[in-house]
Amino acid sequence: MKEPPKQGIDRRLIALAAIWAALLLAPAWMPLIGGYTALGTRVLVLGLAAMSLNFLLGFTGVLSFGHAAWFGLGAYGCGLILKYVALSTPLGVLAGTLLGGVMGGLLGALIVRRRGVYFAMVTIAFGQVFYYVAFQWSSLTGGDDGLRPFYRQPLHLGFANVDILNNATSFYYFVLFCFALAVAAMAFILRSPFGRTMVAIRENERRARFLGIPIEFHIWIAFTLSCFFVAYAGTLYALVNNFADPRGLHYSQSGDFVMMAVMGGMRSFWGPLLGAVVFVVLQDYVSSITINWQIYIGIMFVVVVLFFPRGILGAIRRRVAA
Amino acid sequence: MSLLQVKSVSKHFGSLVAVNNISMTVEPGELRAIIGPNGAGKTTFFNLITGFFRPTAGRILFEGQDVTDLLPARRVWRGIARTFQVTEVFPELTVRENLRIAVEAASGLRLRAWLSQSDDEKIRARVRELIDMGGLAAKADRQVGELSHGDQRASEIMMALALKPRLLLLDEPTAGMGDQETYEITQLIRRLHRDSKLTIVLIEHDMRVVFHLADRIMVLDQGKFLAEGTPAEIAANKAVQTAYLGQAA
Amino acid sequence: MTQLLVFNITNGLIIGAFYVLMAIGLSLILNLSNVINFAHGGFLVVGGYIAYTLEPYLGFWGALIASPFLTAIIGLAVESFLISRVYSRDPLYSLLLTFGLAFILEDGTRSIWGANGKPFTVPAFLSQPLSNEFFFITGYRLFMVAVVTIAVALLFILLRFTRAGIRIRAGTLDLETVSAVGINVRALRSLNFAVGIFLAGLSGVLAGGQLGLEPTMGAGLLMPSFVAIIVGGVGSLAGTLVGGLLIGVASGVTAVFFPAASEAVIYVLMAVVLLVRPRGLFGEEGMLT
Repeated sequence: MKEPPKQGIDRRLIALAAIWAALLLAPAWMPLIGGYTALGTRVLVLGLAAMSLNFLLGFTGVLSFGHAAWFGLGAYGCGLILKYVALSTPLGVLAGTLLGGVMGGLLGALIVRRRGVYFAMVTIAFGQVFYYVAFQWSSLTGGDDGLRPFYRQPLHLGFANVDILNNATSFYYFVLFCFALAVAAMAFILRSPFGRTMVAIRENERRARFLGIPIEFHIWIAFTLSCFFVAYAGTLYALVNNFADPRGLHYSQSGDFVMMAVMGGMRSFWGPLLGAVVFVVLQDYVSSITINWQIYIGIMFVVVVLFFPRGILGAIRRRVAA
Repeated sequence: MSLLQVKSVSKHFGSLVAVNNISMTVEPGELRAIIGPNGAGKTTFFNLITGFFRPTAGRILFEGQDVTDLLPARRVWRGIARTFQVTEVFPELTVRENLRIAVEAASGLRLRAWLSQSDDEKIRARVRELIDMGGLAAKADRQVGELSHGDQRASEIMMALALKPRLLLLDEPTAGMGDQETYEITQLIRRLHRDSKLTIVLIEHDMRVVFHLADRIMVLDQGKFLAEGTPAEIAANKAVQTAYLGQAA
Repeated sequence: MTQLLVFNITNGLIIGAFYVLMAIGLSLILNLSNVINFAHGGFLVVGGYIAYTLEPYLGFWGALIASPFLTAIIGLAVESFLISRVYSRDPLYSLLLTFGLAFILEDGTRSIWGANGKPFTVPAFLSQPLSNEFFFITGYRLFMVAVVTIAVALLFILLRFTRAGIRIRAGTLDLETVSAVGINVRALRSLNFAVGIFLAGLSGVLAGGQLGLEPTMGAGLLMPSFVAIIVGGVGSLAGTLVGGLLIGVASGVTAVFFPAASEAVIYVLMAVVLLVRPRGLFGEEGMLT
């Protein structure tokens, strides 16, 4: 939107290229540092979920603490399709995304009139409703055990069949492809007049209102878009695990997404992905040492909130700029 | 037809009467000032006109149409723009970005996901125009939050102008400014009034600004109407002098 | 049929009373400092466990009285060192902070006292049901209601008649003016928070007696508190009181007809309130914008 100095553009392009290079080559370098491809796939999916939340939180300034609801709905939607309706991965993804996105849009309309802490509280409550429904409606959802079994189906592209069920690497690239689609869409929207209006609302709601911008309507649209994105991530999550369970709907899951977004850096586009990396790695690593890994994440999170409000990426940026 | 007609508006906050039965008529092309000691209800009066509050009694007509029940955003679309006592801009964005958002909002493009090349160029051109009008060319790519008070205010005024308003309300535009900045803002307002033929109503404490700019002055005191007239008439008005006794003029 | 209904409404009121105790502490903190205390559940758990640890030395009654005070002191420390740092920032940060604290408190409890549940012994005479007819009203539940009533009454007296209480109420309405008049807002917030945590700790002791102690119990009890506040109206303690009782009754009555939905019904109630009267029963009206 502005005319940034040439050097800034170059720096950004390099960073972008580096990120994509790392993502594309992950199956190659991950085993070298003790990781494994499936972990990378998980990070991608959770990172996408965190980025979807950040679309709302970082760029509009609105906090939803119930995004796991749409995430979980996406997972269940996908799973239900694969289990009961059709053995088609793309259909599962589509159905899950629609389910989560549409529900989010409908319920979002109820609550955009209030904002701030009130909004956050209500989004939590919404998430919990879905949690209880998933828990109790065990005939449909499998209750506490989760929805299973269903399996991600091989992709039948015109020229080849891709076995994403058994081949971890193929699956990784499938997820990366889906990730890329979503990320491209998000970036596109954020660069548009709509994206700028979102930023305006974040920066100064009163001024935005007095520029004639209908705030509530805009927030509702941003919220709904964000729900679609996170539901999409949810469908991928179901594919990763080959099951869907109520815990994916619980507000602690929402909290995880918020943590990732905040730790990585709320105001930046890629921050949440970094947050997801940190979170998953920490969780994986620390939980193998001690059962009390939550304390460490909690402390780290508190430290970030208190002293590094722009997250890890924000802190790095400050270093680089200085 | 008068541009703005405020008919006997009052605003009660519980038992506190902030605005008490005030009427005002503004003709197109006027530059009106509202003055009064602190607590006179001037900002509340503005808030009623712009729709931030709903009046407890009275009606507000803009260009002959009753706007009393319209929400602020709608009034902006009707042609009423304002600036605030504490400058309201988008502090972490540059001047150019601030204006860009204002222009996009004004041209109804804010929901668009995609801009055509020609639309984009038109917007950029308009933004450049506003930057120059406001004398902000040298600072256009700096964060507004880091600019001087005067430049922030100028940015805010230009943002309001981006909306192509027919009525511009300025709430204490020179608040907290030194002599030089006050002078510059006064000149800016004068220029805008003359070149764009805008109707302007401003609240001010700085009497130099008021007497320099205003065609007519309205005086409020403790929420009530006190006097109205040309600068000369107001300067000679005994009641006004009494109200201001003890206040720095 | 009516008798069953009466039973369940009474049962619901008892449940509701407990929700009220939790929710009022939360509401107190929210109203003055605009902080959603996610860690409230964590403090509840800490309160319960502290009582458990003290019981061998002080007995049930001693633990009941001492634990909330100790919990409040911990709360005070947390508020002074951590939460106070983010008051001046976007309210988002206090929410995030308390969320992180909730993690720490829950896991901290787990590491100190172990992940398995602990029983919390209650004096025997309280465990007896009141009568054969009102079999579900055990002495303990009646005791809980009594404690809640006393606590709420004391809170009311505190807010109405003490200087600190009046300042808290004034601060809830207009913090700027309160500070302009020269009152130490920092100290006021700390005090307010401590009172809220005291109530959380007390809830924890009572819950422990009823449900036993478990590190994860706080989270489950936090949500109904949120709903109570939303239903009753943000900003109103009376609203929270009514909200808590209401959801308790709703939950109790639903348990008769739809046992599986008895937990979910409070969220349905919340959705209804949001549709019909978004500001809650006693909430405040915003301005035109």
